[in-house]
Amino acid sequence: MVPDVDGAPVGEQCGTPAEGGARPRESTRREVTRRLLVSAVGVGLVPVAAACERRPSAQDDGRRADAFDETYRGRHIRGIEVHTGRRAAAGRWQVTIDGRPLHLMRRADGSWLSMVDHYRSYPTPLAAARAAVDELGPDGQLRDLAPGPMGGAPTHGGGEHGVHA
Amino acid sequence: MAYTRKNVSKLTRSERRRFVEALLKVKRRGEYDDFVRMHMEYNSPDGERGLRTAHMAPSFLPWHRKLLLELERALRRVDGSVTVPYWDWTRDRTATSLPWTDDLMGGNGRRSDRQVMTGPFAYRTGHWTINENVTDVEYLTRDLGHHSNPIQLPTAHDLETALADPVYDTAPWNSTVTKGFRNKLEGWGPGRGSASWRNHNRVHRWIGGVMVGGASPNDPVFWLHHSFVDLQWTRWQRRHRDHRYLPAEQPGPRDAQHGRIVARHQRLPPWDVTPDQLEDVSGIYRYE
Repeated sequence: MVPDVDGAPVGEQCGTPAEGGARPRESTRREVTRRLLVSAVGVGLVPVAAACERRPSAQDDGRRADAFDETYRGRHIRGIEVHTGRRAAAGRWQVTIDGRPLHLMRRADGSWLSMVDHYRSYPTPLAAARAAVDELGPDGQLRDLAPGPMGGAPTHGGGEHGVHA
Repeated sequence: MAYTRKNVSKLTRSERRRFVEALLKVKRRGEYDDFVRMHMEYNSPDGERGLRTAHMAPSFLPWHRKLLLELERALRRVDGSVTVPYWDWTRDRTATSLPWTDDLMGGNGRRSDRQVMTGPFAYRTGHWTINENVTDVEYLTRDLGHHSNPIQLPTAHDLETALADPVYDTAPWNSTVTKGFRNKLEGWGPGRGSASWRNHNRVHRWIGGVMVGGASPNDPVFWLHHSFVDLQWTRWQRRHRDHRYLPAEQPGPRDAQHGRIVARHQRLPPWDVTPDQLEDVSGIYRYE
């Protein structure tokens, strides 16, 4: 199986992004995470995956969270899924690379993408975060771009720029 | 009178020079970065809430047509002879062919950090510092062909697959549709594997560097690529004369896409223009 992360030198530190078995379409994130782990089992990466990913845990305030925390290509990537109450299905991931926020967005099929790598999507937040590291190159750091009103980057809407018709 | 957009391979030496100089001047004036910023702002994917206009939506084609027209207008304010050429990636297919020459887009990024070191847009020329970006990298980056796991540019056959579809777009009007000219050209496939980026998306991928991010217009080849994408819309219209931009009407209030896409006669943010008004631009420009 060829990893689906564009053949970037994946898993230098933490094994192959195990999206091979993940089918994001119409899956919940928990299902995807479960499949990710199952997939890791399937390709014999259990020790590696276990060393790199925190299993789902419970937080004091009652929110459930899935998380990852690893070093990939020398970058520290962390992610935590935050479910809030009844809107658990709309849980969001807070992801950072070297401490800087990576704004992850979703496709309608349930897959994930970031502003750093915006012309394809990935089955899991971890895979999307690793792909963002691949695209950052050796020197790059993320800029802190809050999501804008259109879901894109900077926080101001149309109407104030100089390229109007 | 309508002006002409040419194949980049047909530009004379003088036309190449004037196109590049106009880009550099628009950049120097600070106008260029407005286009980058706008592209970053209108980048909401279809799994998020709210209106989508630029990507994963029927208005992918008119939105980029309008963006190109605005960039072209800025260029023509600088030099009235300039138009945005198109790069036919089904024909010029290697990292050393057009438009990757020193008098046009410059070459590939170097291996170590993907920094473009040649041509007028190399950082070291001092004329092309990237100000608006999703990262703090200030130099133009490319990874033509994606050297670590090479991919190929889309072929004429890939393009034909899109052009042959007589229906412009279809419900649910997003990145999951498998029918319709728009997404076959935009290029969203299933989320896994190399089949997940086609035609337009695949070209962004093949170029690499800043072209795969939300700030992709930082690479001036963005305009040559989208000029060719825009040409495909014109070709599709010519081939399927009874077919038009869809949807003609906004999906009903119970439809999950209600209010999330732009119908034919609705305003296309951020501009005060509709897809209907952008379907026929033969009075503004033509393709050679």
